[in-house]
Amino acid sequence: MQSLWDLFVAFFRAANLAFGGGPAIIPLVQNEVVNHYHWLSISQMADGIAISSALPGPIATLLAGFVGYHVSGWFGVLVALLGTVVPTTLIVILLSNILMKHINSPSLKGMLKAVRPVVVVLIAKASLDMGINSFLNIYTWTIAVITAIAVIKYKIHPAFLIMFSMVFGLVVFR
Amino acid sequence: MWKKYINVLLAFTRASNLGFGGGPAVVPLIQKEAVDRYHWMTFEEFADALAVGNTLPGPIATKLASYIGYKVAGWTGALLALIGTILPTLLITVFLGDIITRYANTPTVSAMLQAVRPVVVVLIAQSAYDLGKKAFPSKSTWVIGVIALATLYLLNLHPGILILIALIFGYFVYGKQSKKA
Repeated sequence: MQSLWDLFVAFFRAANLAFGGGPAIIPLVQNEVVNHYHWLSISQMADGIAISSALPGPIATLLAGFVGYHVSGWFGVLVALLGTVVPTTLIVILLSNILMKHINSPSLKGMLKAVRPVVVVLIAKASLDMGINSFLNIYTWTIAVITAIAVIKYKIHPAFLIMFSMVFGLVVFR
Repeated sequence: MWKKYINVLLAFTRASNLGFGGGPAVVPLIQKEAVDRYHWMTFEEFADALAVGNTLPGPIATKLASYIGYKVAGWTGALLALIGTILPTLLITVFLGDIITRYANTPTVSAMLQAVRPVVVVLIAQSAYDLGKKAFPSKSTWVIGVIALATLYLLNLHPGILILIALIFGYFVYGKQSKKA
C-alpha cells in the first residue's frame, strides 16, 4: 500500500510541475524515481526513457507505466497513471472556460517565461547526470558523438537511433 | 451515441499511436482528427484548447484528449480519448520494460543497453537545447538559469521547489512588468 501511495505522489508531483512540454517531465521523474525513492538506478531510468522515446505516445504516461510496473505491478501502473493524468484532466474539463479568459494575461505569461530557463537547466542536468553514468569508454563516447551528429545535422528520428544503437551494441559489446 | 464513443476512441488511438515522435508531433495529428475528419470543433476552438493546454503542466496529448473527448461525449468521451491516447504504447512499454529490467544482466540485453544509454543522454541534451532556444529571450532569463543551476548543485533542492519559486517570481516580476509596458 505504501509503495502505491508513493507512486501516486511521485508522479503527481513530477507531471504536475512539468511546465513547458514533453521532455520537462524527464528530470522530475528521474528525481523522484532515482534520487528520492530509489526505485531504479540512473542507468535503469535511462533504459526506460529509451523505450518511451522509441515509441509513439506521451513520454510521461509511458514512463509512468514503466516505473509503476517495476515498483508494484499493474496496480502500480494504474496509480502512476492516475497521478500523471487526472489533475490536468480535471482542470482542462472543469476550468477551461476560466483559463481561456486569462490565456493572454501578463501574469500567466510571466510565470511561464520565468519557469522555462529553470526547466532547461533541469533537463540539461538530467542528461549530464545520466552521461556521467553511461560514458564508460571510447565506444560509448563514439555512440554519443554519432548520435549527436545524426540528431542535429540529419534530423534522424529518435526511434531509429535507439534501434540502431541496440543492434550496434549486440554486435560490438557482446 | 455509440458511434460517437467509438469515433473518439478511434480518433485518439490513431493520432497518438500512429505518428512517430511524441509530444508536439502529436498536436497536428489530433487537429486533423478533431477539426478536419470529424468536425468536432473549428480550427479556432482547437487553437484555444491548445493554448490552454500549453499553459498547464504535463503531457499535451492527454490534455487535448480530455478536453476534446469531454466536449464530444462527456466524461465517458474524455475517458475513451485518454484510453486511446495512452493504452496501446503503454502496454508495449510495460512489456518491453519488464523484459529489459528482468534480463538486464544477461550478455545480450546488457550489450544492447550499454549502447542505447549514450543515445538517451544525447537525446535528452538535444531536448534541453531545443527548449533552450526559446527559453532565454533576455538577460534576466539567463540570470534565472544560472541561479537555478547554482541552487541545484549547491543546495540539493527538490527541483519542484525551484519550479514553484520560478512561477511565483514570474507572476510578480514579469507579470507586473508587461502590465506596465
